[in-house]
Amino acid sequence: MNGTSFGRLLRSGALALAGTLATLSGAAFADTIKVGIIGPFSGPFALQGKNFQAGAEAWLAQNGKTVAGHDIELVYRDLPTANPQQARALAQELIVKDKVQYLGGVYFTPDAMAITPLLKQGNVPLVIFNAATSAIMNSSPLVVRTSFTLPQTTTPLGKAAVERGAKKFVSIVSDYGPGVDAEGAFKKAITAAGGEVVESIRIPLNTTEFSPIMQRIRDSGAEGAFAFLPSGPPTLGFVKAFSDTGLKKAGVKLFAPGDLTQESDLPALGEAADGLITSFHYAVSHDSEVNKRFVAAAEKAIGAPDLLSFPAVGAYDGMFVISKMIAATAGKQDAEKAVEAVKGLGWESPRGPVKIDPETRHITQTIYLREVAKDAQGRWINKEIASFPEQGDPGLAK
Amino acid sequence: MANATLQSAAAPRLRPLGRDLIGLALIALAGLSGYWLFPDNLAFLTRVISVALLVLSLDLVVGYCGIASLGQAALYGAGAYAAGIACINGITDPILLILIGAVAGAVTGLFTGAVMLRAHGLPQLVLSIALVQLLHEAANKASWLTGGSDGLSGMAPAPLFGVFEFDLWGRSAYLFGLCLLLVVFAVLSLIVRSPFGMVCRGLKEDPLRISALGIYAFPVLLKMFVISGAVAGTGGALAAIATQVVGLDSVSFELSANALVMLVLGGIGHLYGALIGTVIFMALEHTVAAINPFHWMTLVGAVLIAIVLFAPRGLSGTLDQIAALLTRRGGRAGR
Repeated sequence: MNGTSFGRLLRSGALALAGTLATLSGAAFADTIKVGIIGPFSGPFALQGKNFQAGAEAWLAQNGKTVAGHDIELVYRDLPTANPQQARALAQELIVKDKVQYLGGVYFTPDAMAITPLLKQGNVPLVIFNAATSAIMNSSPLVVRTSFTLPQTTTPLGKAAVERGAKKFVSIVSDYGPGVDAEGAFKKAITAAGGEVVESIRIPLNTTEFSPIMQRIRDSGAEGAFAFLPSGPPTLGFVKAFSDTGLKKAGVKLFAPGDLTQESDLPALGEAADGLITSFHYAVSHDSEVNKRFVAAAEKAIGAPDLLSFPAVGAYDGMFVISKMIAATAGKQDAEKAVEAVKGLGWESPRGPVKIDPETRHITQTIYLREVAKDAQGRWINKEIASFPEQGDPGLAK
Repeated sequence: MANATLQSAAAPRLRPLGRDLIGLALIALAGLSGYWLFPDNLAFLTRVISVALLVLSLDLVVGYCGIASLGQAALYGAGAYAAGIACINGITDPILLILIGAVAGAVTGLFTGAVMLRAHGLPQLVLSIALVQLLHEAANKASWLTGGSDGLSGMAPAPLFGVFEFDLWGRSAYLFGLCLLLVVFAVLSLIVRSPFGMVCRGLKEDPLRISALGIYAFPVLLKMFVISGAVAGTGGALAAIATQVVGLDSVSFELSANALVMLVLGGIGHLYGALIGTVIFMALEHTVAAINPFHWMTLVGAVLIAIVLFAPRGLSGTLDQIAALLTRRGGRAGR
């Protein structure tokens, strides 16, 4: 009967509603710049996501929520585990619906790889706070990274490992981008230092039961082991299993990038991690004025000092980079100009002096060799014992 | 369930075709109003449609055949990976990709069905979990083909009919998905009411009696598995085209379990129940996760428990009850 008039009514109603929404959001973002942060805020890796949040909020607490007259608003989106499809959907929605001008965060490489194809069309730069595979940087010119790569943190480990008296090594890595990177970098570094890798083991990303792996390490007859897994429950389980199955006592030396001994896991690991040699870009205990101020602000943001770990520093420096981008573009959305502005940018980070390499858009930084030990107050820390300044990413250097 | 069939049998057979057309029109209307009302959420709505296809396919197996399954994502993932791999290797026509996904899903359905139908009840459920885990591990291991944990990316589907591009805003993907859903829903409505569909229902409610009628159950159920696989594969292929990424998540136990939750929420054994359940569950999850990205899972869990406690027959079952109550009262008033 009056189907058409009903349809018209519905449509005009919808239009009116959409119009109201549009004006509302238009008013809201006139001088507020939204930054979308994607990370694991719930689920098994929630602690890493909380560190993103703590780092970003520590930066805002120290520098204020306004950059060059523009308010910054952080929009968090939860991506509990590596899930490229969901990552893409979240990024798409942040760009299209929430109208973010910048994307930040991203814990896992597969998620970063799924997001990068959207950046050009959305005119949005992505500042990676963690995801650590070298190749991400090649997938879009609009990516800048403030974390580390596995070749970057692993390479100095080769010489140190051979110097400590082991010649034959077995390598164990998670079977995904960063794991493959770490395996390759370690093998190269060990061969250059005069050792050899006798067996390379790749385990599925979501492995939680490590005793069969420990048996394989034992059977390989290696004197040293190298391991990389993404920080979180897997690394905690691995280091515990390494000690519990008696490999540590049997004298097999474990070397790893610092992912395996993140500070938030050390209280739980305790003796199991004692003396473990790792190489990494940041230790919460790093001795500098900038770091002390950062740690104070970040501990306040995260609630308990024990929870603080390396993703926080990636997020903190990431926010610094984003603030420079906002200042350079005067708050206008121009991804290319924003990225151009931070190429070659150098500053004093809580981890030490750092610089955005103009070629690779990856961060150049000091890599430290550390040993798990107790500090004066009896807390377990990653004690820095040597440093390798101005390390670029060997995985990207051609 | 026997109750429900009795009810629908007792109800006057009011031109089922007409009712189907009204149902389809309602879905189209809801879909189009989604397009008008949430123009910034189309990527999410497309995901809803693709998962709705998965839940529909699960309903065919669980709701119409009474086969317990917690591994339906195997079929969905097969469709998604097949479409993704085909797209990377140069087949970019979206309609062709959907067909490839449907065929891959159907073939996987044939195999998983052949295995699962060897058992009944709980062992069957365990088999379904084992199958999806196996496929998950296979996809993880064959990283040269599927990208493994890094996901399959780099797809560039051609514009639909050479005109409508699959872009960041997702308009063409959504409308394409909506059309697919309508077509699939129409076909499934016919199938579940056909003699074949009736036999499936009979097998669910009284297998002994059906076999006494001289019908051999295995090929009938296997046929439904193949149809279910084609539907799930279509959903997977749609997801692959719309997001242009396929991850291991699409062949996971988690997705299978979520699909079952959505089905139970909407009401088992009704096609529209599958749709309602998917929309409500995903909308709930989506809004709550955006409002509080840190503790959203707790809230979603609480709401689910509440729904299962207060609407044990699913939302569509409760709607049916309300409708029955209203018509009874209306009928009395009319007299």
